[in-house]
Formats: sequence, C-alpha cells, structure tokens
Amino acid sequence: MTNHSDDERPASVSRRRFLGATASTAAFPLVGVAAAGQAAAQTMPPPDPQAPVDVKLSINGEMYRVGLDVRTTLLDALRDHIGLTGSKKGCDHGQCGACTVLVDGRRTLACLTLAVAAQGREVTTVEGLARADGPLHPMQQAFVDHDAFQCGYCTPGQIMSAIGCVKEGHAGNDDAIREYMSGNLCRCAAYPNIVAAVRQAKLQMEG
Amino acid sequence: MADAVFSTLVEAPAPKSNMGEPVPRYDARAKVTGSALYASDVALPDVAYAFLVTSAIAKGRVRSFDLREARALPGVLDILTHGNIGDAIRPVKFFTEGGPASNSVLPLGSPEIAYGGQTIAVVLANSYEVARDAAHRVLVDYEIDRPSATFASPGAVDQELATQNKKHDDPKVGDFAGAYASSPVTVDVSYSTPAQHHNPIELFATQCSWTGAQLTVHEPSQNVYGIKNGLAAQLGIEPSQIRVVSPYVGGAFGSKGGLTQRTALVAVAARKLGRPVKLVPTREQGFTVATYRSETKHRVRLGASRDGRLQALSHDGFEVTSRPDPYAVAGTDASTRMYACPNIASSVTIVRADRSTPGFMRAPAETPYFFALESAMDELAVALAMDPVELRRVNDTMKDPIKGLPYTSRALIPCFDRAAEAFGWAKRDARPGSMRDADWLVGWGCATSAYPTQMAAASARVSLFPDGTARVETAGHEIGNGLYTVAAQVAAERLGLPVGRVTVLLGDTDLPPAPVAGGSISTASVCSVIAQACDAIRARLSDGTTPTGDLVAALKERGMGSVQEYAEWVPHGAPKGAMGMLYRGAAQPTGGAKLQDRIQFAFGAQFVEVRVHARTREIRVPRIVGAFASGRIMNTRTAHSQYMGGMIWGIGSALHEETEIDANAARYVNTNLADYLVPVNADVVDVEVIMVPEEDSQVNPLGIKGIGEIGIVGTSAAVANAVYHATGQRLRDLPLRIDTLVTGA
Ligand code: FES
Ligand code: FES
Repeated sequence: MTNHSDDERPASVSRRRFLGATASTAAFPLVGVAAAGQAAAQTMPPPDPQAPVDVKLSINGEMYRVGLDVRTTLLDALRDHIGLTGSKKGCDHGQCGACTVLVDGRRTLACLTLAVAAQGREVTTVEGLARADGPLHPMQQAFVDHDAFQCGYCTPGQIMSAIGCVKEGHAGNDDAIREYMSGNLCRCAAYPNIVAAVRQAKLQMEG
Repeated sequence: MADAVFSTLVEAPAPKSNMGEPVPRYDARAKVTGSALYASDVALPDVAYAFLVTSAIAKGRVRSFDLREARALPGVLDILTHGNIGDAIRPVKFFTEGGPASNSVLPLGSPEIAYGGQTIAVVLANSYEVARDAAHRVLVDYEIDRPSATFASPGAVDQELATQNKKHDDPKVGDFAGAYASSPVTVDVSYSTPAQHHNPIELFATQCSWTGAQLTVHEPSQNVYGIKNGLAAQLGIEPSQIRVVSPYVGGAFGSKGGLTQRTALVAVAARKLGRPVKLVPTREQGFTVATYRSETKHRVRLGASRDGRLQALSHDGFEVTSRPDPYAVAGTDASTRMYACPNIASSVTIVRADRSTPGFMRAPAETPYFFALESAMDELAVALAMDPVELRRVNDTMKDPIKGLPYTSRALIPCFDRAAEAFGWAKRDARPGSMRDADWLVGWGCATSAYPTQMAAASARVSLFPDGTARVETAGHEIGNGLYTVAAQVAAERLGLPVGRVTVLLGDTDLPPAPVAGGSISTASVCSVIAQACDAIRARLSDGTTPTGDLVAALKERGMGSVQEYAEWVPHGAPKGAMGMLYRGAAQPTGGAKLQDRIQFAFGAQFVEVRVHARTREIRVPRIVGAFASGRIMNTRTAHSQYMGGMIWGIGSALHEETEIDANAARYVNTNLADYLVPVNADVVDVEVIMVPEEDSQVNPLGIKGIGEIGIVGTSAAVANAVYHATGQRLRDLPLRIDTLVTGA
C-alpha cells in the first residue's frame, strides 16, 4: 500500500493558489488568521505534561482557543475539543487517510499531527468547504454525482485528499489519480467512482 | 437528519426493466459535508474516556494486576477488572444457542483468558490521552498455558458440526462414493482460505450515557434491537430502559451485527462514574473486539461423464472456531446446490482452538466455499478439455439437486452469457500461458456467483402530511447499503410523491423494529414493510375499494392533519412468532435453501483478467466484469456501488487479505491497516457491473433479492482460475501471492 506523500507536492502549487481557487468556488472564510496563529506558536513556553496547554488553532478561517493535553493530536482536538467531527479516525496511525485535512493547503494526516504543531497554520477540514445550506465544493458535488462512497466514513478524508491531489497536479490522468489517492482507504471500495469524481472535479476546479 | 441531494445524474447506470431510478443517495449531502453523525461523533456532556487493556496471551489466567502506577496518574477515574466489577454483567448465550452474544465469554467475568486480545481491564479517565497512558501502565502477571492456534495445532479439537449445532444437516443425496468411483473424469482437490478481518474504516466505538435509569447507547450497529435486548439481559434491566442510536454506520460487513463484550462494559462504566463514557478501541484492538472470518480448508471431489455432466460431487469443509462457541458458516448448504448432480455428499468439521469466536463477514459461507467449488469446477473443465462456461451451462439446473425443490428464478446462464460477451471471452485461447503480452502473462478466468435470497420480519410506520411530504420510520440500518435512499424511493413510489418529499428515519430503537442488516436482507425486508404501510394509507384514504389517485388531495379533502400507518411484514417461511422475535432483536433471516417448498437464490457470473509478470510474478487485475440477476433493483446507482464493492472485496480476498496467526502464541500478528492488506485505489482498475433484468414475483411482493454480498462470491476463484490460465500454475491457497507463484509451493 502506498500512502500519499506530502513531500512530493511540487513547489509550484502554492497555498495562495489553493485558497484562491477554493474561495472562489466555496465561500471560504479567510479572515486574518495567519498572524495570530504564528504569534502563538512562537511565544509558547515548554509544556508541562500534566498541565493543559493553551492552544490556538485556525480552522476553516476561524480562531479556536483550547486547553489541551500536549499529546493531543490535531484529529482529537478537532473531534473531541472543537466539535468538528467531519474528520474521521480510522486507525490513528497514518494508515487509512480518514483523518486527512489540509494544513496550509497541503494534505496532512491529522492523526499524525500534534495539535500544538498545527498552531500558526491554516487548517481546512471538510466542514470548511461549503456553508450549511450553500452550494457544495466541486469535489463534494462530484462525489455525490458519481456515488463515490457508500458508508461515507472515509469520505471527508477522500474529499480533502482529492482536493490536495488536484492542487498538487497529481490528477492529470486516471492512473495518477489512482496512485495519488491510494493513501485513502475505502473499505466500501468505491475506488472507480472516486477516480471518476476526481476527474470531474478537477475540470471544474481548474476551469 | 440527512438532507436529500438531487442533482444532475452523472454516469449512473440507466435502469432497465424492473429497475428503479438511480436517484442520488438520500444521505449524500450529509456524508460529503461531514455532517452525518456516526457513533463516535456524538458529543456527550462531561464525557469520560475509556481505554481497553487486552490480553497479551491467548490461554491462561490473570494471576494479578498491579494497578498502582496507572491509578496514580492524575485524571484516572477508575479501572474496571474482573476483581472489582462484581456481578454487574450477567451471562447471555451465544447466538446459535438462541442468545444475543457474538462471543459467549463473559466480559470481565473471571481471570481466565480464552483468547489473545480478550478485554481484561477498562481504564477510565478524564481525557483520552490519560486513559491511554494509564492503560499502558497497567501491569499484568499472567499464568500462561500453551494455546492451540489453528488447524492441526496441538490441542485443537475436531468435531462434526452436526453434533455441535442441532440445526445443521449435511446436504447429501444419492450414492456419491459409487458414482464417483465410476465417473470417467474426476478431480479430487484441496483448498484453503485464510482468516480475514472486516476492518471497516469506522472503529468499533461505543458511547453510553445514563439519565436516571434510562440508558442511551451510541454504537455503530447492524442490529440496534439486538443490542437493546441483549444489553438489557446483560445488565438485568428492562429493554424499555435502553435506547440504541445508530443512524449512520461507517462500514460493517458483518462486524457490527452482534453484541460484543464492549457495550456492557461501557454501560457499566458510565453507571459507575455517573457520567457518559466514550470508548473508541484502537484499530489493533478491533481485531479481537469484533469478530472475523476464520480460516477454512476444503476437499472437493467432482466426477463427470465425458460430456461434462456432473455425476458425483462432494464438498468437505473444515473451519476454525473458538473453544466456547460452535460458530460455523457451513457453506455446503449452497455449494451442493449450484449444479445438477444426482449424487452429492458433504460434511462440515469445526476445529476448536484458543481463538476469539469468529462471526459473519460478507457472504460468510459462500466466500470461502465458492472459492473451493468454483476452483474445482475450473480444474474439472481443464480435465475435460471443456470451456468453463460450457461446463456451467451443461450442469445448469432449475431445481435444488438435494431436495428437488424448484428455484423461484435462476438466471445463472444469462449472467454468464452477458458477462462473457462484455468481457470478450470468445477470444480466449484456452492453453495456459498462451496469451502473453510482452513481459506480462495474461490469463482469463471465470466463476459462478450466488447468494441465498433471504428476508426477515420487519415493521415500519409511514406518515403522510397535507403539505405533500411523508415520513418513514423504521429501525433499519444504513451501513452504506443505501437504505435511506431506497426506503424513500419505495415510499415515494407507493404514495405518488416526488422522492425529495420523503423523510426517512433509521437506526434508532425509538423507531419500529427492523431486522439485522445481514444476509443481504435489508432492502427486501424493509422495502416490503414500507410498501405495506403505504398501501394501508392508500386504503384508508380510499372510499371502499377504489384506490385514490392523489393521496395528498384526498387527505386535504378530509381535513385530516396527517395519516399514519404502522405495518408488520413477515416473509414466506418465517417461523411462528417472527414478529415477537423481531421486537426482541432476534428476527432470523429465512429463505435460501431453508424453505420447505422452494429454493431462492440470486445468481451472477464473474470474469477476470489477470496479468502476471513473467519475471517478478507480480499479479495485477486490470479488469473484471460481473453480471448479476437479483430480482428487482431499487436503485441502479446504489446497486452498482454494492456490486462493485463486493467484486473489489473479491479481488482483495484473492490477492491481499490475510490475518496472520502466530502459530505458537495464537495471536494475530498484522493487526493494523499497513500490514493487513486491503485493496487500495491503485489496485483497482476497470470494474464493469452488468445488471441483468430479472423478475421474481415469489420471493416477496416487490420481487427484491439481496445484492450486498453476492458481488464477492466466486471472485477469488475467478482470479485463481485466471492465474492458472496465465501461468499453468494452479494455486489452491488464498491469498494468491508472488511467493507461491515463484516457488510453485
Ligand atoms: S486516522 Fe489518520 S490515517 Fe487513519
Ligand atoms: S465509503 Fe465506506 S469506507 Fe469509503
């Protein structure tokens, strides 16, 4: 099995380009996040393992401040402390991709990222792609159109990973999509439909 | 609850005769936006976290715990062990004995260890991080006995299944031994399949919270009424005190159908702490928290006349189970009934080892038993120098060869013909190794798919409102099967409403009961009862016998605020008292080969191309074509996904999946998703699903057969048969791996 590698993201795909494209299609809240997050990361004292650490996270354009055990992963912070349960836990070991989020536009496994390490960065989860009653992100709509899921549990991770895959330039053909989406397991095995969805959304995201 | 999404339809298979519209999934928007709440997503106020401590040994006993270091950790609330849980949990029986348990070992019932990974303590803490930390500080002093791991391990005990499970009868007819001895062409071959774990991507979470004497359980379940009633018996309370909520299940495949040990433990912990408790076992723990498909062995003997007609067929199966529970899948019930043959024998032997009790996993019986049967059929075709499709054709039958009962419908040969044509089978050169493409040895193989058509009692409540909306309520289960969608479709159709006007509530014991989502019974059972409730609404709004056209207009005319009907549906062949059993969470699927007057199965045919690298022996599956006839198809979009998912499971079963068992320690070795291989996107290329139109008015009024499992049946044999065609090497042990191809072992 292959896990997608963040290292292989070509340098030409910048965060700005990602955010620009996303904002135009999915009403993405983007207010003054980076500065506050970076300041917090730089002034933090060394953590006492017994005491909750004051963590500031910028998620989907909103700042969240939570007291966390320093060992808390970004995934558990999102799910158990911030109430954003769209990102899923399937293994907690970086083996399934269900927890995939974008950190500064790059697809990242939230279960392998400590929450404290995500400070000063912009985290995008599946909840950040569309407003409650608004239009879906092209990738979400493509997943609906192609029935690219059954149980839906891997789906948020697939969608975030697929957006990252397109932005990286790894969705140029079906073989590339298959390869670069292979870090996201779908036990329901919707794979051919996922490939079709990524193909469709790529055209819309780039068109 | 989910908002329905009805967007432009893209690339959904067009419905053919007796097929419903491919409306997008009812729960699609909820699932792509992350708003669908799965069990572990539900936020409970002031929740405490549980972390399991599981046994490092497979047999023996806990001599003592040293809990001092764990308890000393700030934030630790309590640690449950057999020493302090008292009699909080009462024993309940294993399901073959009429109980609810998927494993009859009493949770924290004693210091005895029955299998590796058994839960021996539950750590409770204010945070997940502290609970996990403390669990790793629990020191256990074991007294270790030597465990039996699997077949032929010292101490493993073989038993004929018929002596252990009174309901099992080995199918047989005629004189197998005599007919086999006099058959001009015979094969006598043995096969094996490995242990496999479902590994749904959602973990086996449970959350419990008490309000006074009322308990609410959030747990992904294929049988919410089963959990409710079983847990009530364990806790010694009334079922009415328990509500089980499971509106979405993140994959199940059989692993979430039974009552596992964890539920009662979390309930007891929550009662003890006086606050809600959340348990999300790790992926590794999931290998023994839930069940699995155990390893099997098979001996198949086929005798045929020179024209390919079967004269003798025998299938002996061997299956590993646990010491306490006689679990077996006994796939001979199906494998002896696929082909016309006058002389049939069979047997099933269970082998007791020191293992967790196995359980249902997608097509539990047919997956391993059809690997054996359909591989053997291919070997027979080779021995006869006959085309394998023709071999199926000459042995086709419209009646059960064991009891002589008629099939309600059987489109096996139309499935073979449609799939063969789509695949291009006519261009196959039968000689092994003859279809080489540069460095790749190309092989084509095929196999029969079949799955018993079963149903169980179900109930539902349907309401129609004057604003032209309707609501369907039934405790059926959305496990990716598309039940929300097809439930909305059947109600819309029967009430004459657009599908977007129907709300569906599922997966909650506050709703009328529906049966377990297993045995591919959900759509047939639940849609049947919904249709019945809708028809009752129509009858109420009709004057006398005239059916009313516009029901909403009729409702308004009468000035009624709403009309509501509750219905109960019992399938043909269900036992007396089936509705009572449904309410007790114990409705048994009936049908398949178990009826007195007929036999009912869905059929299919699968064709696979493999490419085996001439030097490295890497095996790839570039394309697979499956044709299936399963009665009425409710929604071609969701059905396509079900079939396709099953076929890909078949590829995984053939090439990837195996739970490795330590022969000395009797423990699972590869308990994570990097080492337990499942198909990934790059493993799957071209999957073509053909839905062959079929009408069967006998199975149920809507003519629905199940489709959730048939897609995996026979696939692994088709892959192995293709590998033989590519290489001339016959592999009889799953999974098919490079090392066996290289060594020829
Ligand atoms: S939960 Fe993060 S990769 Fe599986
Ligand atoms: S949709 Fe179920 S795991 Fe992918």
